Amino acid sequence: MPGLSPKKVGYSDTLEIYLARLEELLKAKDYKISKRSLELLILQEDKEILELVKEKEDVNFNLIENLIKETKANYAQPVSYIISLRRQQEASLIASRVMSFGKSPAVSIQERISRIMMNPFTGGPILLFVLYYGLYKFVGTFGAGFLVDFIENKVFGNYINPWAIKAVAKILPIPFLQDLLVGEYGIITLGVRYAFAIILPVVATFFFAFAIVEDTGYLPRLAMLVDQLFKKLGLSGRAVIPLVLGFGCDTMATMVTRTLPTKRERIIATLLLALAIPCSAQMGVILALLEGRPLALVAWLGVIIFVFLIVGYLAAKIMPGELPTFYMEIPPLRLPQFSNILRKTASRLSWYFKEIFPLFIFASFLIWLGQISGIFNVLVKILQHPMRWLGLPDKAAVAFLFGFFRRDYGAAGLYDLKKAGLLSGNQLAVSCITLTLFLPCIAQLMMNVKERGLRIGIAMSIFILFFSFSIGYLVNFVLTILNISL
Amino acid sequence: MRKIAIVGSPNVGKSVLFNNLTGSYATVSNYPGTTVEVSRGKARIGEEEFEVIDTPGMYSLLCITEEEMVARKILWDEKPAVILHVIDGKNLERMLPLTLQFLEAGLSVVLVLNIMDEAERQGIKIDSQRLEKELAIPVVEAVSTTGKGMDVLRGRIEEYARIKP
Repeated sequence: MPGLSPKKVGYSDTLEIYLARLEELLKAKDYKISKRSLELLILQEDKEILELVKEKEDVNFNLIENLIKETKANYAQPVSYIISLRRQQEASLIASRVMSFGKSPAVSIQERISRIMMNPFTGGPILLFVLYYGLYKFVGTFGAGFLVDFIENKVFGNYINPWAIKAVAKILPIPFLQDLLVGEYGIITLGVRYAFAIILPVVATFFFAFAIVEDTGYLPRLAMLVDQLFKKLGLSGRAVIPLVLGFGCDTMATMVTRTLPTKRERIIATLLLALAIPCSAQMGVILALLEGRPLALVAWLGVIIFVFLIVGYLAAKIMPGELPTFYMEIPPLRLPQFSNILRKTASRLSWYFKEIFPLFIFASFLIWLGQISGIFNVLVKILQHPMRWLGLPDKAAVAFLFGFFRRDYGAAGLYDLKKAGLLSGNQLAVSCITLTLFLPCIAQLMMNVKERGLRIGIAMSIFILFFSFSIGYLVNFVLTILNISL
Repeated sequence: MRKIAIVGSPNVGKSVLFNNLTGSYATVSNYPGTTVEVSRGKARIGEEEFEVIDTPGMYSLLCITEEEMVARKILWDEKPAVILHVIDGKNLERMLPLTLQFLEAGLSVVLVLNIMDEAERQGIKIDSQRLEKELAIPVVEAVSTTGKGMDVLRGRIEEYARIKP
């Protein structure tokens, strides 16, 4: 207590001798911490401290460095490990004297639910339940279906677009600049509308659902559940968060890969997001496309899961790097607070919008440029060849090109083809698989480049381009050879 | 004005404790030259007014992250009269090594065993008087979210700060 001298940890005789010798060498008086603490940090080679010591002890610094080397030579493990180990021994000894573990109360309901969530057999169905109601029903049907329909058709279709077109026509009498702002792919009619009518409702519902899942404490349990599997893919349970976010919006999820500790994990996660995780906007349309074709749906799901696993596995094999370590505290399960969920959703939305909005404006500018220069027409012509390899009609080329600018738009193009009766079950499965794997939308491409750098971002895109078409070709080939009609 | 620094690893309730001590007036600013945010506020304890600093989470004095560097700098450069080491009571064993490091550094530590409600629910009991004798520093049990133990903590800070010059 005050007046008494507080507990001091004693280290091994060897280490204490080095500490004493080090004390002799430290001549400067004006260190801000105790000599003992300073000496311990020097022996553990704390960079900041070594610089400070070098500055203050110029004559003796060589001797100090030699002493550090001499100390290290005594141990097979790093000195910091030896020191922490000793401190932990002391801490454990003290803890054992003062802590008592009463009969742990009967396993609580929370604990029981928690175990069920982490058990591989029961955790799987729970995950499916969360995905179905949280993702498919709430984000897909309500957000991407009902809300998008309302904002896009009612608000933009009836009010904003006609008004903007009129206003721009009055102010700017130059046709090709009008196109840039309010044309078929204009900044206001496409870029702004896309951001507010499609991205906003989908992402808002997704963030809302995500905040609920997050605040209950489900995510760390999900991370534990999939950790073993993810290790095989070069990832760890920590990657659950960006990958789950990817089902909402891959662009945002790519941004969230920042939370992964190593560069290797970030690259693998970015690749898997771009390739095998369909975003909510896209998934809505794909599920509509495959409706009434259960076999094609199973084929699509099977191939996408297979690709996810095999690409992750191979990427982990090819890319050198340490195995990820994973350590996560499991917080208790809690009932989420509604006000907190609203606050989280709002702050994430505003953060997301600030990052994403300029990208959409830029994308509609690019489309405008492609149209006006005729590059688009050329690209559609070129794309018709791979379409034929996949056994798809030429018209699918437009859907694929647009899919690049707007993933869901591409799928929506296919939807028109389906309604016109131009696609068989096989063609539906092949085109959905290829389109899911196909290049991410342009916003995500830009995010890939922004987060991973130009070289990796571009290389990844080229890989995905070839890979998606190869898989599509392969699936079509296998179906044809085996004479299967889905 | 003398200072009180709140230190400890992440997620042990440092910020809630900070709010309890300072009321609602706090300034949050980046620590000079870093992107790390540090909150500062004022607290009247006994007759004296202190500046209270909520430091970023740290696991060890041997720093790895920028947050830890900032926390360590605050401890050294700002010479707080008292530091409150906040730990999660149920993880006493894992968190004590940092307390031992603070003591090695010659800092005036009050150990706050926080989140004691969760510990009790798990059937964990800590003999804090015994712990006080083992470490020879004040030890206070608290539940910062409900304010339990705050009066005792204020009293211990006051008595500790009075003895220190």
